[in-house]
Amino acid sequence: MKDLKHLYYFENLLMDADNELVRQAQADGRICVGSVCYQIPEVLMNLGNAFTVRLRAPRTGSMEMGTYYLTSLLCEYSRALLERAIEGGYQFLDCLMAPDGCTMINRCVENMELLKINEKEHFFYKYLEVPMKADDNGLNLYVSQCKEKILTPLHEKFGIDISDEALRKSVEEHNKICRIITELGNFRKEEKPRITGYEFHIITMCTYVCPQDLLLEKLEETLEEVKNRQPDEKWPYRARVAVVGSEIDDIDMIKLIEDSGAYVCADRFCFGSLPGREEIILNDDEDVLTQICRHYMMTCMCPRHMDTPKMNRRREYVDEIAKKYKADGIIYEQMKFCDPWAYERMVGSHVLREEYGYPVLTIDRPYAVGNSGQIRTRVQAFVESIEIKKIQGGIKSGESNWKLSTREAL
Amino acid sequence: MRYFGGCDSGSTYTKCVIIDENGKMVADVTLKSRINAVLSCQDALDQAVAQVPDLNSAQDLTYLVGTGYGRNKVPFADENISEISCHAMGVHVADPSVKAIIDIGGQDVKGIAVDTDGTVLNFAMNDKCAAGTGRFFEAMARAFEMDLDEFSCLSLKAKNVIPITAQCTVFAESEVISLVGEGKPMDEIAAGIELSVAKRCFVMSKKAGAVDHITLTGGCAKNAGLKAAIEQVLKLKVTELPIDPQLMGALGAAEFARQKGM
Repeated sequence: MKDLKHLYYFENLLMDADNELVRQAQADGRICVGSVCYQIPEVLMNLGNAFTVRLRAPRTGSMEMGTYYLTSLLCEYSRALLERAIEGGYQFLDCLMAPDGCTMINRCVENMELLKINEKEHFFYKYLEVPMKADDNGLNLYVSQCKEKILTPLHEKFGIDISDEALRKSVEEHNKICRIITELGNFRKEEKPRITGYEFHIITMCTYVCPQDLLLEKLEETLEEVKNRQPDEKWPYRARVAVVGSEIDDIDMIKLIEDSGAYVCADRFCFGSLPGREEIILNDDEDVLTQICRHYMMTCMCPRHMDTPKMNRRREYVDEIAKKYKADGIIYEQMKFCDPWAYERMVGSHVLREEYGYPVLTIDRPYAVGNSGQIRTRVQAFVESIEIKKIQGGIKSGESNWKLSTREAL
Repeated sequence: MRYFGGCDSGSTYTKCVIIDENGKMVADVTLKSRINAVLSCQDALDQAVAQVPDLNSAQDLTYLVGTGYGRNKVPFADENISEISCHAMGVHVADPSVKAIIDIGGQDVKGIAVDTDGTVLNFAMNDKCAAGTGRFFEAMARAFEMDLDEFSCLSLKAKNVIPITAQCTVFAESEVISLVGEGKPMDEIAAGIELSVAKRCFVMSKKAGAVDHITLTGGCAKNAGLKAAIEQVLKLKVTELPIDPQLMGALGAAEFARQKGM
């Protein structure tokens, strides 16, 4: 397929946390709100002249300093963020919001605060308590936390408008982005998709780490381009997979999977679009903040939620997206030492394999995969096992002529 | 007669197998890998081709499949297939009764469950760590100032086992040197080393869902002490293959080549 016109631009935006669009927005006097988790509603931080950036640590090498403060048994995402913070990589932030989505990321941000990594005079940290159960009590907690830890400080410290009107406007802008991403993502359902999983991942990630309004024009152009794009005559992939699991912000990961022959047709991981890039539908009958919080609480597929309906729903959701996006198999990945996903991966991979009948590959991976030969081999072998089964259509080739002749010859 | 090749470019050894259209193995080569995988593969292919009078060069092969960590560097290869699939196929061809494989290569350990048709049912593989791999044994043999063959038989003489606590190759080497320095019996330390690797193999085979009819492949399959330790922890007899277990990846690749090229 012809290269996307803006792909190189999008890739470059992901090379640094403090990217071109962040710098541009800050040069215009805008406020940059850092966040570290999906569970802090983006729309509450994209208000007025504030914009949010979800933290990543691109080009991470060793994590010695982060490991010193956090121990080697904490997930590499939290250690990589702390490492980058100590290196001075997040000086551009004006404040940082962290949920207790997991204790590891919470500890990471607490260490940033203790180490005073940001030198800005009015810089502040906020920690949100987020619900573990998706019920009315959970929602009440979530609403009060979002009000107290996000909206009020943004208003008091930076004079941001936090009225219902401002919230509705933010949701409206957010929905524009979501519609584009959803439309782009829908092309992955095609038999010969006109967008690769890698391209889609890059574009989606940009919407999490850049001021969304500054990205809109190029996203719209890209959507038009993809609509008119011709897929290759020869399909370069040998299987379609849904990637499910903990956060992936490493641009090499999806590339590695696709280079190994598996088209990534669905992305159920943090920094992905399922969920995360669906529109927020508001009504006029209820308080806007409550509606936003309910949307995030109910769509969230993080194993942080431990009530039975949510746990079962997560498996059903994977099954639904696998069917919708025509996945031949599922890759359950988990970043090393990510506790919530370790449990989820272990149970989920068995349930999806044994109860739903999907071929499942599970991967325990580092934050930055680089050019991991082991992961490449695993994915390739997984693709081959799917492919061979598909070709043989369940017929046991042990009874076929070629196999018999080989045995005899030996 | 048409001929089909499989070249397994491993991190430590490069193996090449040629089979004819009936599946008969007509040539095989095993040589130490050089730093340049392409040159190693070229050497192996040249030597294998030289064993077949009908062939002048690797380009005369009807179909060639590359496998192993350097699988995409095999010259003239028509395609590459992962070593997991190739080991499963190679073993299935050699002995179709085998249901599971523990493959201990130069830099990784894999457990592979094989379906009745030679395809992969499930597999498990170690991460970046070299614990329990061929590299690990090289380091241990170095600590003992022995060659690998000598080291592999040492543990068979042991009456007791001195447990090795470190799994990490570097730490284990240091631990072994300390034990040797303390004057502990060498054969008992060696038995501890074999046992620690056997336990790792146990985990991989269980993760892959292996239950019985297990065989060993890869260079470390020739390690008699390790085989004995694995039989002890798995509580079953490891199935002996009729062909050199180190060649299984290359044989599987050649078989895939035959399947694709016929």
